[in-house]
Amino acid sequence: MNLALLFPALMCGVFCYLGAIESCCLFGMSWGYYVMGRPLVAGLLCGLVFGDVAQGVLCGVAVQAVFIANLSTGGATNSEITYASYGGIGLAMATTKDPAIAVTLSVLIGQTLGLIFYNTRMALYSFFNNGASRAAENNDDRGITLWHIVYPQVCTFFIRAVPVFLIVFFGQGVVDALLNNVPEVVTHIISVLGGVLPALGIGMLMNIVIKDKMQLIFFLAGFVLLSFAGLSMVAIVFIAALVAYLVFLSSGKSSAEPVAEAAAQADAHAVYEDEDLF
Amino acid sequence: MATTDLTKQATGTNGKPRLTNKDLNTIWLRWAFTHLASMSYEKLQGHAYAWSYIPFANKYYADDPEAKRRLLVRHSVFFNTEPQTGQIINGIVTSLEENIALGGEVSEEMPNNIKATLMGPLAGIGDSIIQGIIVPTLLSIGMSLANGGSPLGPLFYIVAYGIIGPVISFISYRTGYKLGVGAIDVIVGESARRIMDAFNVLGIMVVGALAAGNIALTTTLNIPFGEEWQPLQTTLDGVFPALLPLIAVLATWWMLGKKQFSPTKVIVILTIAISVLCLLGVF
Repeated sequence: MNLALLFPALMCGVFCYLGAIESCCLFGMSWGYYVMGRPLVAGLLCGLVFGDVAQGVLCGVAVQAVFIANLSTGGATNSEITYASYGGIGLAMATTKDPAIAVTLSVLIGQTLGLIFYNTRMALYSFFNNGASRAAENNDDRGITLWHIVYPQVCTFFIRAVPVFLIVFFGQGVVDALLNNVPEVVTHIISVLGGVLPALGIGMLMNIVIKDKMQLIFFLAGFVLLSFAGLSMVAIVFIAALVAYLVFLSSGKSSAEPVAEAAAQADAHAVYEDEDLF
Repeated sequence: MATTDLTKQATGTNGKPRLTNKDLNTIWLRWAFTHLASMSYEKLQGHAYAWSYIPFANKYYADDPEAKRRLLVRHSVFFNTEPQTGQIINGIVTSLEENIALGGEVSEEMPNNIKATLMGPLAGIGDSIIQGIIVPTLLSIGMSLANGGSPLGPLFYIVAYGIIGPVISFISYRTGYKLGVGAIDVIVGESARRIMDAFNVLGIMVVGALAAGNIALTTTLNIPFGEEWQPLQTTLDGVFPALLPLIAVLATWWMLGKKQFSPTKVIVILTIAISVLCLLGVF
C-alpha cells in the first residue's frame, strides 16, 4: 500500500462526482458533465493531482478519442464516461502512466462497472422521486429540497467517489495482472473494441438526426470529406454550414408555393407567346 | 388576447407584482444547476421544476396553500429534454405560470401541455447541436492543441465550452420567457421547421465526419496479389479509405434504429462480434 497515493486517489473520486451527469455542483451539465466529465479535461486534472501534467494530458487525449461520441439521450447512454475518465486515467496515472493502458482501463471500467452502477442508480432513484412527489403533495418546500437534491446527491457522491477511490488506490494489482497474466489476445480484443466503440455513440446520434433514408447522403458526404479529402473537423463544419444554408434556401419553395410558381411560369410563358405573335 | 395585455402591465388583474429580473435569474439558475439532481428512468428532470419554482410559489401563493400545492404537484411529473437549449421551455413555463399567478387567462393545464409538446422536438435539435456538433468539434480542436501533452488543449476546451454552455442556457431561457406562448410558433412553426431541418443537415454531415475520423478498425488479413500475399487493408484503403469503420457505424445504426436494440444490447453484440473476429484473425 502506498500512502502517497491517498490524496490523488481521493481527488479522482471527488472529480468523478463533480463531473457526473447528475451532479448539481457545476452549472448542471454545462460545467460538470460536458467539461469535468470529458476525458480530455480528466487527463489534465489527473495529471495535476499526480504531479505529471504532460503525461496526464497524453492519457486524456488517448481516452478522449475513444469517447468522443459519448452520448446521453433520454437517460440512455452508450458508456459511463465519468467512471471511465477518472477510474481509467486515474489508475493509469497511479501505475504505468501509459496512454495505451489508460485506454484499455477506461474501456473496461466504463463498459462494465460504470454502466452497471449507472443503470442501477437510474432504476433505484425512483425511490427519491417518490419522496419528492410526496413532499410536493404536502406543500413541503424543505422536503422537496431534501428528496430532490440532498439525499440523491449524497448517495451519488458515495456511489461515484468510493469505487473510483478504491480502483485508483488498490488497482495496482489489477494493472500488473493485466500486463503480466492476461493473454495478449484479450488486451488486443480490448484495444480493437476501443477503436469500434465510438461507432455506438455515432449510431445513436444518427438515430436522432437522420429522419429519412435519403439523408444518409449527407452523412456519406461528411464521411468522405474526412476519409478521402482529409479535411479537418473545423473545415468540414464550414462546408456543412454551406450545404445546410443551401438546403434552407431550397426548402422555401415547398408546399404551397409550387402551385403559385407554376402559375407564374405559365404567365411568363403566355407573355412570351404573346410577344412571339408580334 | 389577455396574455399580451398582461405583459404590458406592471401588475396583474389581481394586483400582484410581475416577476423581477432577480426572480427570473433565480428560476433560471435553480433549473440550470439541478435539472438532473434526482435523475432516474422514471422522472428524469421532472422534480427540478418543482424545486425551481419554490421561490415563485412563495412569492405568489404565500396566502393560498392550495394553489401552491397545485403548482408543485403539476411540476413533479416526468420531463426530459436537452437541458441547455431546453431552458427555452423553462422560460415559456415561467411566462405561463406568471400569467396564471397574475389572474390571466392561461389554464393550469397549459404549462404541462407545453412541456410535453416541446420536450421531444427540443431534445432532438438540442442533442444534435450540442452533443453532435459543438462538443465533438471543440474536443477535436482541444485534442489537436494538446500535442505532446500540452495543457493548452484541455484549457482551450474548458474555457470554450465553459462559456458557450451557460450562454446558450441563458439566451434560451430569456427567449422562452419573452416570447411566452408565441415561442411555440418559433419552435414548431413553418419557418422554424425549415431552420431546424437545415441545422439537421449540418448535424448529419458533421456526424459523418465524426464517424470517419474517430472509429478505428483495420483488418490484418492478407489476400493473394499475383505471386505475393498483400495486406487486404492496403487494397481497401485504395478503394475506399475507412470502409470498415463505415460498415461498423452503419451496422450499429441499423441495430439501434431498425431493430430498436438498446445501447447496452448493442455493446454486448459488438463485444462478442469483435472477440470472435479477433480470434479468427480478421482484426
